[in-house]
Amino acid sequence: MKFSPSLFDVNNLNFERHGNLVLKDSTFQILPGEYCAIIGPNGGGKTTLVRLLLGLEKPSSGIIKLFGTDQKRFRDWNRIGYVPQRSALVDGSFPATVREVVGMGRYAKRGIFGFESAEDKAAIVEAMELMGVADLSDRLIGNLSGGQRQRVMIARALASNPDVLIVDEPNTGVDVESQHRFYELLRTLNRTKKLSILFITHDIGVIAEDITRVLFVNQTLLVSQNPAEVVRCDEMSRLYGTPAHVVCHNH
Amino acid sequence: MLEMLDYPFMQRAFVAGLMIAVLASLGGSFIVLRRYSLLSETLAHVSLVGVSVGLLFGLSPLWMAVAASLVASWLIEYLRSVHGMYSDSVLAIFLSGSLALAIVIVSLAGSFNASLFSYLFGSILSVSSEDLWVMGIFGSLAMALLLAFFKELYFIAFDEDVARAGGIRVTMLNFMLVSVIAIIIALSIRVVGTLLIGALMVIPPVAAIRFGMGFYPTTLLSIAIALISVVIGLSASYFYSLPSGAAIVLVLLGLFIVALAVNRR
Repeated sequence: MKFSPSLFDVNNLNFERHGNLVLKDSTFQILPGEYCAIIGPNGGGKTTLVRLLLGLEKPSSGIIKLFGTDQKRFRDWNRIGYVPQRSALVDGSFPATVREVVGMGRYAKRGIFGFESAEDKAAIVEAMELMGVADLSDRLIGNLSGGQRQRVMIARALASNPDVLIVDEPNTGVDVESQHRFYELLRTLNRTKKLSILFITHDIGVIAEDITRVLFVNQTLLVSQNPAEVVRCDEMSRLYGTPAHVVCHNH
Repeated sequence: MLEMLDYPFMQRAFVAGLMIAVLASLGGSFIVLRRYSLLSETLAHVSLVGVSVGLLFGLSPLWMAVAASLVASWLIEYLRSVHGMYSDSVLAIFLSGSLALAIVIVSLAGSFNASLFSYLFGSILSVSSEDLWVMGIFGSLAMALLLAFFKELYFIAFDEDVARAGGIRVTMLNFMLVSVIAIIIALSIRVVGTLLIGALMVIPPVAAIRFGMGFYPTTLLSIAIALISVVIGLSASYFYSLPSGAAIVLVLLGLFIVALAVNRR
């Protein structure tokens, strides 16, 4: 891994959509190895923030640096693995096997006409094994359960051997126990693979002590490096605009 | 049976037809997966504008069709991706707009002649050596582009956002795909005809998808379905004096029904 002072370095970021301010004057940094949560109410701008980092939306103003390089000049996109929110909703008849989907993670590394190298094959198999989907290799993605698809999408992101994984709202419509297993898996990847992880959740309950940083997004951005301390009633109420009873009970 | 291939016009029809079968079903796979099937129908109508301009001014209708179809494909993609218009509405506007324009041009020419009829429904008698050259040049270009960016186009069809986030040049490739589709459609009008080419692009992939396989085997099956339809369709056209495009599409429909029946889900 190349030396980089920070994975994401965001300064005074503003984003407007159709004249409405979605994200206001946001400044934050994310360092290598972090396990970072983005939380906030629905419509608060969590997904927009991630899309801005990925270059899928253009900021109205402000500077985004990725691995120390200005986003406009950044080319190493395969260092960032992205798992979008609606990944569990692939159309049932889409002709794609698990193996093919995970293989997409290697496409950016192969040139035009490029065939799969031995290195590509090894990376694909490793990613599938890591996520426990190797035995589903030849199954159609549309025939899998929501949880299985989620793991396939993460395997695809891992196949490019990224330095950071961005996961958007991983557990929409998944039961509590699977959610816990899922976050444990993310945490294991973070620890054992030295993979930085940034995940969006609207579920404040999942915030654990071992999260290194929390970005609270509700148009404005509040950053904390000590989640347990900052997740307090008054801060939550300010962010959500209503008294945050659920959160208060947890503390 | 094979003596039909003794005739040079049938040899040309088969060369053209087989080439179109491979190109149309391969390109068609991507537009079907992107819910963009009507693009082929629309560009086929636009090709008719090129054909009528060609017939009116005595220029090569095939060249004119390629030009008209290409320009329209860029305009459609521009309105869709840059202006964010709904793609089905953009297609509807271009479909009827270009048909209206073609009809006006044909009326100005003064006669709705037999040669236009062959462009509507395809004709095995109409493929000239010059047509084959044009098809060979543009067809190879289209094929080379589809193969070069096959995996990227597949990724974009699967998830455009993730492909873009992964560093794939989605906007450029989207323009490339519609250009390739435009070329394939314009080239097909000799054998299949403008009113029927949509079926050759859409039915093979849709039928192949019913078999529930991965993308690579699905694509190969789709090409096989298109080739079989063209061979049977052209032969039927020869033996029963049918317009070739209509014969091919009816065979395609038959194979589609078989695919549905075999894979009831």
